[in-house]
Amino acid sequence: MRKYVLKRLAQVMVILFCILTILFVLFRLAPGDPVTRMVDPEMTPEESQHLIEQLGLDKPIWTQYLIYLKNCSTGQFGYSIHYGEPVAKVIWEKLPNTILLFTTAVLLSAMVGISWGKIAAWRKGKATDLVLTIAALVTHTLFLPWLALLLVWIFAYQLDWFPITGMVSDEVWLDPTAGFFTKAADVLYHMVLPLTTLFLIHFGSYLLVMRSSMLDTLKEDYIVLARAKGLKERDIRNKHAAPNAWLPVVTSVGLSLAFSINGGALTETVFSWPGIGRELVFAVSQNDYPLAQACFMLISTVVLMSNVVVDVLYAYLDPRIRY
Amino acid sequence: MALLTVENLGIGYQTAKGLLKAVDGVNFTLEPGHSLGLVGESGCGKTTIGMALMGLLPPNGRITEGRIILDGLEISAMSEDELRKVRWNKVSMIFQAAMNALNPVKRISAQMAEAIQVHRPEVDDHQAMERVEGLFNLVGLPLERLYDFPHQYSGGMKQRAIIAMALALNPKLVIADEPTTALDVIVQDQILKETKELQRQFNIGIIFISHDISIVADVCHQIGVMYAGQLVESGPAEEVFFNSQHPYTQALVRSFPTLAGPKTKLAPIPGEPPNLTGTIPGCRFCDRCPKDTASCKLDHPQWRQVGPGHHVLCDHC
Repeated sequence: MRKYVLKRLAQVMVILFCILTILFVLFRLAPGDPVTRMVDPEMTPEESQHLIEQLGLDKPIWTQYLIYLKNCSTGQFGYSIHYGEPVAKVIWEKLPNTILLFTTAVLLSAMVGISWGKIAAWRKGKATDLVLTIAALVTHTLFLPWLALLLVWIFAYQLDWFPITGMVSDEVWLDPTAGFFTKAADVLYHMVLPLTTLFLIHFGSYLLVMRSSMLDTLKEDYIVLARAKGLKERDIRNKHAAPNAWLPVVTSVGLSLAFSINGGALTETVFSWPGIGRELVFAVSQNDYPLAQACFMLISTVVLMSNVVVDVLYAYLDPRIRY
Repeated sequence: MALLTVENLGIGYQTAKGLLKAVDGVNFTLEPGHSLGLVGESGCGKTTIGMALMGLLPPNGRITEGRIILDGLEISAMSEDELRKVRWNKVSMIFQAAMNALNPVKRISAQMAEAIQVHRPEVDDHQAMERVEGLFNLVGLPLERLYDFPHQYSGGMKQRAIIAMALALNPKLVIADEPTTALDVIVQDQILKETKELQRQFNIGIIFISHDISIVADVCHQIGVMYAGQLVESGPAEEVFFNSQHPYTQALVRSFPTLAGPKTKLAPIPGEPPNLTGTIPGCRFCDRCPKDTASCKLDHPQWRQVGPGHHVLCDHC
């Protein structure tokens, strides 16, 4: 087990190195360069030269690459060209917002999807199954921005139940008397629509995976044995069938959780949610190399690491898997 | 009083082509501590009977006629809740280990303790584990393998664990459905011997379901030979095996090799069993029978006694 984890971590390091290199090359190949954005045409040549030197853009590309590698390995991602602040600071400001929205959405849709999938499989062919399966298929195939806009139009614009955009109301957060719970409630209130959108889009895939996995499990002989032992149907479903059925679902939840830190550019844009997804798109369009590179680095690391975590977790859930 | 009485049992499966009568007019009784072997080829209805005895017919299957009475309780008339209390408590089942009968993600000991605690809620975890240890000793499984998962066991060990599990609540009747089919002959022989010994020790009634008449003859007191949903010959094991009367039984005996005795050519039974969805006017074995006459196809054959306790469903034997 230990050996396996160490081996996997070594693999992660190699892959990260490859990703770093690809990122570096890709950003240099992309059209446009930061100098033209940063350098004001009214600056004197000396001023612009100074700026370019300050950004390290005058050095040969190999030197830039080596500096970049050294900085990445020591955790120094430099300064955002656009904000002029440390990249880490920019990311840490946005990341919690994304995690709050997207990780909650993944957990919620996974929990609901898995338990509904279990029920659908258990009542296969009955009305419950039909309604759940059709609902899952329909919502899962909806186009996210369309659904998001529809919800905003109905519930925020027409009915005026929820705020149209943003994550907080200024009047609440600027009010010195507002306590923690008032502020939290305000954020929750803003979260309702984006969370609903993400939930509707995502619960279906978990439901369908869990349902089909559960149907396979229910055909197994140990289910007949459990019934022969005189177990209650509920215990057969929850203690014997489900623990076997959710093995394939774990992978999909684990990876979704990992990807949830990159947020969703579409969702964050529609709801003006100040998260990483929007920041990433912005950084790329502004040729803000350090910021974009750091964002991609962060996402790659989390995805790679959660692959390892999912594999290790698998060994705990399924005793047949040993490394 | 007989431990088990099966009266005129009929079981049908609802299929797309109509009701398939998997079991038709089956009668037998089993005394406490005795064993009955049900033999026949695949699809003859022997497993269906086993499942019906546990009240575990699949959703499209139902008892169409007759009664099953176990230890004074009419199994065939019980609700699901009542059945659940009888299962494993009075009648348990030995599954075939090669089939995925043990839950792969649960420890063997936990699966056994569960069977005990479901029916005896007053038994705490500690007492349940003591009982499980006792069962391990009983079937000759090493105690250090108590907390293993099923995949860590060999086929023979799994089969022992399944036997131990079946004995957990001292049931009066155990249904053994092809318990040793997937094992190699040496392990098979050991397990059969041990099963026989356990049966004697605890005075358990056993219904032994197998396609191998020689095994059944070795293990059981009584044999019931099944063909196309009906019993066709029944009687004391030795009688039925060595003095078979029904042409199907004779063919079954000839179709298995013997270790002792002269080398003879194995005789396969030509043809296939009839389709069970319609009604069959005459004898069901008729199409494959070497002795068939014109009248066989017209009338249902009648049960006849051919020896002490030895009966056969054939008009020409």
